[in-house]
Amino acid sequence: MSALRRAARPRGTSMRDALYEEPGPRTRRKIVIGTVLSALLVAAGIAAVVRQFYVTGQLAPRYWSFFLEWTTWRFLLQGLLGTVEVAITAGVIALVLGLLLMLGRTSGVAPLSVVCRVVTDFFRGVPSLLLIYFFFFVPAQLGLKMPSFWMLALPVALAASGVLAEVFRAGVNAVPKGQVEAAVSIGLSPAKIMFKIVLPQAVRYVIPSLIAQLVVVVKDTTVAYVVSYPDLMQNARVLITSYDALVSMYLVVAVIYILINFLINKASVYVANRTGVKIIR
Amino acid sequence: MGLSELLGTYGQNYLNGLLATWSMTAVSFVFVMVLAVAVTVMRVCPFGPLRVVGDLYVQIFRNIPGVALLILIAYALPDLKIVLDWRTCVIATTILLGSAFGSENFMSGINTIGVGQVEAARSLGLSFTKILRRIVIPQALRTTVLPMTNLLIAVMLTTALGSQVPLNPQELTGVVSYVNTRATGGILAFLVSAVGYVGTAFVISLVGNRIDKRVRILR
Repeated sequence: MSALRRAARPRGTSMRDALYEEPGPRTRRKIVIGTVLSALLVAAGIAAVVRQFYVTGQLAPRYWSFFLEWTTWRFLLQGLLGTVEVAITAGVIALVLGLLLMLGRTSGVAPLSVVCRVVTDFFRGVPSLLLIYFFFFVPAQLGLKMPSFWMLALPVALAASGVLAEVFRAGVNAVPKGQVEAAVSIGLSPAKIMFKIVLPQAVRYVIPSLIAQLVVVVKDTTVAYVVSYPDLMQNARVLITSYDALVSMYLVVAVIYILINFLINKASVYVANRTGVKIIR
Repeated sequence: MGLSELLGTYGQNYLNGLLATWSMTAVSFVFVMVLAVAVTVMRVCPFGPLRVVGDLYVQIFRNIPGVALLILIAYALPDLKIVLDWRTCVIATTILLGSAFGSENFMSGINTIGVGQVEAARSLGLSFTKILRRIVIPQALRTTVLPMTNLLIAVMLTTALGSQVPLNPQELTGVVSYVNTRATGGILAFLVSAVGYVGTAFVISLVGNRIDKRVRILR
């Protein structure tokens, strides 16, 4: 994973542009024609979509006017706050669990290492929905009463912890071997080597990847309605029943989620470019 | 409920669930690959509007939560007079999500090749199609084996969205919730499905690592 430390490519020389030679006059003409044709194609596609909305009556004001009201947005923002709360809680738990799983796996203690590896692979290989259903059904069957917040936060955290353990491990592997050897030769204990030498650097390598993983956490929280936790999606469903406007509401909510995740991804890329590390997923 | 009792009563459901998960994964992945190639071609083609659409496609489907997309396809499209059956809805969702990530894998595969190689090839007098066929595509494919293996596993996990619509037969996650609404399946009911997922993921990554070891380019 030494590629982790490879510095970002200088801007401006992207591979997509390098593929083509500097076009001559004839090629330039072809490109202009192709650009115009493809623009027409795209415009036709957009027109077809808008037409479908129009024909089916989905552009009618009654489906969109309530977005002008503050109460709509206040309710959606309340849901968004719920999403943020549960995502951050799950993210923090996953961070701690992922770190512990990684430390266990690289501890060199055989039984602990095997257990941590199995747990990591388990949470990475199971859909988060299955874990959510687990926390929805099983504690209730055992007679435990669990708040819906934790029925959502815990499974999302567990699902992410497996991935984060692998991200941390990649970060640890990216620390040059020579440093560990040097630390051994001056007589540091394995624990000291991990916590004083390797981990501080490893964490720095993986910060962009950790930010990028937040996207997965946010996405996983959208099934909050399974446990009826009031997140953005759940509140949108409530609004849909009161305004009877399914298409417009789900579209707006989808756009909100896309924007949030897009910004998280952008932040991750920004940090990666500033520190010159690669994002691992 | 013990394991034998669980499998005695619901064994057939689990088996059908596993087969449904496998078949949806396989069908989705084929289309994911086709669409990922198409989107990647759009993103590197010289026509501005197509590049924009390709980039937009990837940003949208990379960032939209699976459930939100499934709900749009399954419940919003019928209001626009486009009605798909449940299974098609789930598969379409998986394909749209997967192909965005697949295209990202291809793009980073292309990007690892390095501008210098293309410039070298051009100075040797290779034509555009030859550069693509001999230099870019073979290397891009070889470096994307491992990411695509992970994508295949991700596609399988995404088919769990099928539990959110009335599928028939249900897939593995849907089976568990079915079993649990009927009886107290407990932890075991989940473990059976989990083993189905983890086992499949294990086999996929085993095969993927084998292929990767054989074709990997050491740099």
